[in-house]
Amino acid sequence: MQREVGTLPLAPALRARLAAAGFQTAQELLDTGPCGLSKEIGISREEALEALQVVRQECHGDAARTAGGPGPTRNCTALELLEEEQTQGFIITFCSALDNILGGGVQLTKITEICGAPGVGKTQLCMQLAVDVQIPECFGGVAGEAVFIDTEGSFMVDRVVDIAAACVQHCHLIAEAQQEEDLRKALETFSLENILSHIYYFRCRDYTELLAQVYLLPEFLSEHSKVRLVVIDGIAFPFRHDFEDLSLRTRLLNGLAQQLIIIANDHKAAVVLTNQMTTRLGQSQSTLVPALGESWGHAATVRLIFHWDNSQRLATLYKSPSQKESTIAYHITSHGFRDVQPPAATPSSGGTELNPRKRPRTEEEKQH
Amino acid sequence: MVVLRAGLCPGLTEDMIQLLRANGIRTVVDFVSSDLEDVARKCSLSYKALVAVRRVLLAQFSAFPTNGADLYEELKSSTAILPTGSPSLDQLLDSGLYTGEVTELMGAPGSGKTQVCLGIAASVSLGLKQHVLFLDSTGGFTASRLYQMLQARTEDEEEQLEALQRIQVVRVFNIYEVLRALQELRDRLSQQVVSSMGPLKMVLLDSVSAVIYPLLGGRQSEGLALMMQLSRELKTLAREFSLAVVVTNQVTRDSSSGPLKPALGRSWSFVPSTRVLLESKEATWDKATTQRAATLAKSPRQPTGIQAELDIANGDVLEPSLVTPTQGL
Repeated sequence: MQREVGTLPLAPALRARLAAAGFQTAQELLDTGPCGLSKEIGISREEALEALQVVRQECHGDAARTAGGPGPTRNCTALELLEEEQTQGFIITFCSALDNILGGGVQLTKITEICGAPGVGKTQLCMQLAVDVQIPECFGGVAGEAVFIDTEGSFMVDRVVDIAAACVQHCHLIAEAQQEEDLRKALETFSLENILSHIYYFRCRDYTELLAQVYLLPEFLSEHSKVRLVVIDGIAFPFRHDFEDLSLRTRLLNGLAQQLIIIANDHKAAVVLTNQMTTRLGQSQSTLVPALGESWGHAATVRLIFHWDNSQRLATLYKSPSQKESTIAYHITSHGFRDVQPPAATPSSGGTELNPRKRPRTEEEKQH
Repeated sequence: MVVLRAGLCPGLTEDMIQLLRANGIRTVVDFVSSDLEDVARKCSLSYKALVAVRRVLLAQFSAFPTNGADLYEELKSSTAILPTGSPSLDQLLDSGLYTGEVTELMGAPGSGKTQVCLGIAASVSLGLKQHVLFLDSTGGFTASRLYQMLQARTEDEEEQLEALQRIQVVRVFNIYEVLRALQELRDRLSQQVVSSMGPLKMVLLDSVSAVIYPLLGGRQSEGLALMMQLSRELKTLAREFSLAVVVTNQVTRDSSSGPLKPALGRSWSFVPSTRVLLESKEATWDKATTQRAATLAKSPRQPTGIQAELDIANGDVLEPSLVTPTQGL
């Protein structure tokens, strides 16, 4: 109850008036009551009532938490978090090298950023992930739905059909090899139409539409609680032109980042963003760095940079809270995102053992 | 700026307050800074009564000076130095993190700030068996990585689990949630509620710029006010309850080719008493490395510009190297 008035989420003009009138703690505000408050600072009774409601909510929120009451549990010990993380699934990318360096795949509740030059495969990976998130649990997936927010218009439905068909065929092969009932039953619902109907597509043309869409997303996600992946393809595109005031851009981007973190955390979804590259002119040479500036680099928890080396596509894990930096090569085939050569014939690599829901894959991807 | 109320001190009655208010004196500051003879005449109150009230108000509300020797004694008995788990970083910080102060770690993305924070939490929780509060605003806290670090330091499984239980993680995604969490901490510590929260010595906030950046810039100026509120909360918590507070910050550039400088500007630069800059050794993507260079950018005790090398893989360390002091930030 001893919260200072300056720390309460009230409008700045109101805060200034309260400070001038001499109110210091929230308790004083509550004691004064709406009539006294409106007289003291010269605001209308409705405004005073609203302000007191906000204050009461904050203070009761505090009290409930210290008493151990219910609420959005963002407060726990590291041990509980560890148990939660160990039972969490990953979204596989079908490229086992990439899955390995990511520690199992794209992690839920974290923001992953994919940066790369044009044509290197960012949108391909996004479309692959939108299909892979729907893989049923008995095959090692998270059985979720996907939200795809497109700002560049690069989402091609026929490509998604190819990728989805290849994924379904792959699962059929596994089911036949393992001959188990629940695998076959899961495959009944895992069909092409089903996959496509669970990818929710939004098209945003400029930054206001994008911001509005992201801020409305929590409502959408509470109606569609099975969504486990949010892809924003092209977060750089709407922000890279039309901005004279760069500090406003930084402020908007940071607000967007925080909103995405809240979405990822509260709905247990993975957020994947794609970013463009820009040139930084150094003393004697120029380097390619991710766009949107230095402060945007802190928004994503995991950062992957895709680049070319002659004609080989490489992916570098540049920033991760739990994995080391490393580089691998990948391929984009007609079936989607794949490894370069058939991986070694070890049945279950170390990364998959940690996930108790995944069964060991006895058959690796067939390379075409 | 406390409003004058009846019962604030003996001798201050409701009628007195009404008379004073009618003449424009509403807060304690107004009262003690006004000419009492004038007030006595205008409000027709007795001068003696007003002087008595003023004396009591001054005694209640003003600050008292102490001498340096007393401060030093108090500091010696209440300050602790917490090891960060990495001997070269400890040497950089003059043997560790001092309680009662705010220390800042800054660096570019991927430079290892969260890793160092996890290492500090692991070391304090495991080595000193003290409780740690970790405020995570970026979603970068990975419990499995923390577990890896604990496993590297000790083989005993029970100790590892106990250490994990001593670390409290709160996810705070905007500035008001941070302020609320700090207020809860203050309530808990001042009431000394015996709960799962044992002796708390360390608060880590990763990162402070993530919650403040959405408020700065543009044409709104309340962001600065909130930033200063937060800094005041952190510093008073550190000082009053003898905690070591560690915050992480970003770095920005002035223009696309300018030098790196810490984020949040000049106003924030006065808040932490110690600042450490973390950098990667190599600037290309070809060679992956877990080496990081830590440079001391601001310190009340050590010369700035000294460097140490860290390996963020499992907190193992190399020999500290005192490079010739470079241009401080």
